[in-house]
Amino acid sequence: MFDFVSHLAFGLGVALTPTNVALCFVGCLLGTLVGVLPGVGPIATIAILLPITFGLEPVSALIMLSGIYYGAQYGGSTSSILLNIPGESSAVVTALDGHQMARQGRAGVALGIAAIGSFFAGTVATVVIAALAGPLTEVALVFGPAEYFSLMVMGLAFAVVLARGSIVKAIAMILVGILLSTIGPDLTTGQNRLTFGFAWLSDGIEIAVLGMGLFGIAEVFRNLESVERREVVQGTIGRLLPGAEEFRQSAKPILRGTLLGGVLGILPGNGAVLGPFASYTLEKKLADDPDRFGRGAIEGVAGPESANNAGAQTSFIPLLTLGIPPNAVMALMVGAMTLHGIVPGPQVMTKMPELFWGLIASMWIGNLMLLVINLPLIGLWVRLLKVPYRVMFVGIVLFCCIGVYSLNREIVDIVILMVLALVGYTLVKFDFEPAPLTLGFVLGKMMEESLRQALIISRGSMMTFVERPVSAALLIAAVLMLAVAIVPKIRQGRDVVFVE
Amino acid sequence: MRGLIRAPQNFWSGLALIAFAAFAVWGVRNLSQGTLTSIGPAMLPRWVAIGIGLCGLVLVIGSFLREGRPLERWHVRGPLFVCLAMLVFAFGIRSFGFLVAAPLAMVVCGIGSSEVRWRELLVFALALTIFCVGLFRYALNQPIPVLLLPGLAIEI
Repeated sequence: MFDFVSHLAFGLGVALTPTNVALCFVGCLLGTLVGVLPGVGPIATIAILLPITFGLEPVSALIMLSGIYYGAQYGGSTSSILLNIPGESSAVVTALDGHQMARQGRAGVALGIAAIGSFFAGTVATVVIAALAGPLTEVALVFGPAEYFSLMVMGLAFAVVLARGSIVKAIAMILVGILLSTIGPDLTTGQNRLTFGFAWLSDGIEIAVLGMGLFGIAEVFRNLESVERREVVQGTIGRLLPGAEEFRQSAKPILRGTLLGGVLGILPGNGAVLGPFASYTLEKKLADDPDRFGRGAIEGVAGPESANNAGAQTSFIPLLTLGIPPNAVMALMVGAMTLHGIVPGPQVMTKMPELFWGLIASMWIGNLMLLVINLPLIGLWVRLLKVPYRVMFVGIVLFCCIGVYSLNREIVDIVILMVLALVGYTLVKFDFEPAPLTLGFVLGKMMEESLRQALIISRGSMMTFVERPVSAALLIAAVLMLAVAIVPKIRQGRDVVFVE
Repeated sequence: MRGLIRAPQNFWSGLALIAFAAFAVWGVRNLSQGTLTSIGPAMLPRWVAIGIGLCGLVLVIGSFLREGRPLERWHVRGPLFVCLAMLVFAFGIRSFGFLVAAPLAMVVCGIGSSEVRWRELLVFALALTIFCVGLFRYALNQPIPVLLLPGLAIEI
């Protein structure tokens, strides 16, 4: 227990230097600035802003990135509440009641309770991460390559179950992601694979470019299809601070949301995305009169927003302890860490304690930053949202171009971005989801490595994956989850969750 | 053909996946697969590609058996001009610098919207260019060439 307090204090010491606080602040601000743009979710935001952290020390860069991450999350909620245009799937739920509240002139309260709920959830999640990180890292250290491989298989199976629409298409997307990750030199022999003799493919594809193309620009293409019918909530935003009655109504939903989101977020394979849906459904079930939901019930904002933020934060756990990103956003974080020469995994905590605890402490600071600095800036974001899309998308495209160019100062990267954007647009047209592809892309390289190592250790016997108990359990869990997803009855239930 | 395929979207998705998989298998034809004890460079790509092909096959077969969505309509204007804008930016940034490439790219990009308004677009393009130079080049110190005019030997 004392251990854990001293670790947190140590982390706060690292994160609270003036430079790091300033960077966290700038990160939060820029993250919100880009994240608030309609149709730009956290993935695209992080991808766009990733290059600006390049010149920094690793610790500072990660602190700034987590600021960007929370800013992007919060920006997404802002555009869902004010515009009814959610930037990502988990913000869809917030839009339901949040936008109704905004239309009733309670936009300020909706934004306020979202920020307060998120802050509470963030605080709890930070403590959970700090408490769990140590023990989980020890577990991770006894994991061999076989266990790692099976764990990643389970994560991908979970991602398939959680993807919307066709299961076959989700599996195909994951496999395409893995295949794309193999482009470039083979790790042991150094032979180039699938580069077709092009020098610019010999380093493989950058995860940030992939994220920007598939999520940023492809979304622009989609939004350009329809003539814009966007109504920014007219009139006043109203007071930001919820009243005593509203606090009383939201207290329990925030608590329950935090718990639900936090637990789901730890699961590998993007469990965090379930949090808001689960919380909304739960609050609706528990409410005295469920009819209010969808008509501006504050519980419908407080619960899901807390769940969203708790999950967003606990999804750092698999990344920090095992080095396995559970979703596309964390996948980008891995990309960022690798660029700064950090290989995420259990060794980070022991070898670079200042980075590890500094990052955890800065998560809490990032959340606080959102509450005390971003909320008062709400007027600025509202004004930004009034910029018509016909102008805004031009800015989004330019930011993506600058972002990609600053990655390596390679012109060809912009061309790759263009191709990936067209691919992303095509995928959407054929009802494929790009998120599993991104996850497969990041896990692909790690999976190949652990598969190779596991088979070297077992002298080529595939049985090693089922003979080792932990690995076998993980694989069974994966198979069970896939089986569950295919059984028609439960599938209907899954669709209902996403429709709601 | 038409009456046979009940889910056109899945049918074409499946065919595309099969083609993509075949292309990947062809792409690694010269690499060795190795053995299970020492995996070669082609092992993972080849088997993953085969998996993609199988997914495609399932989709194609399924499209004959079950009703599904029709193909969606494609829009050309948006993607076309946005892509052109990216190319303009890509080729302009090294040759002429940001001050030329960015506004030019933004104007091309803006045509992608069916509601384009020229005056507004021009003002926005110029303002954002100046803002970005300030933010990325000077505040964040990114190595972006601001202005290159080789004939006049100007380089900022």
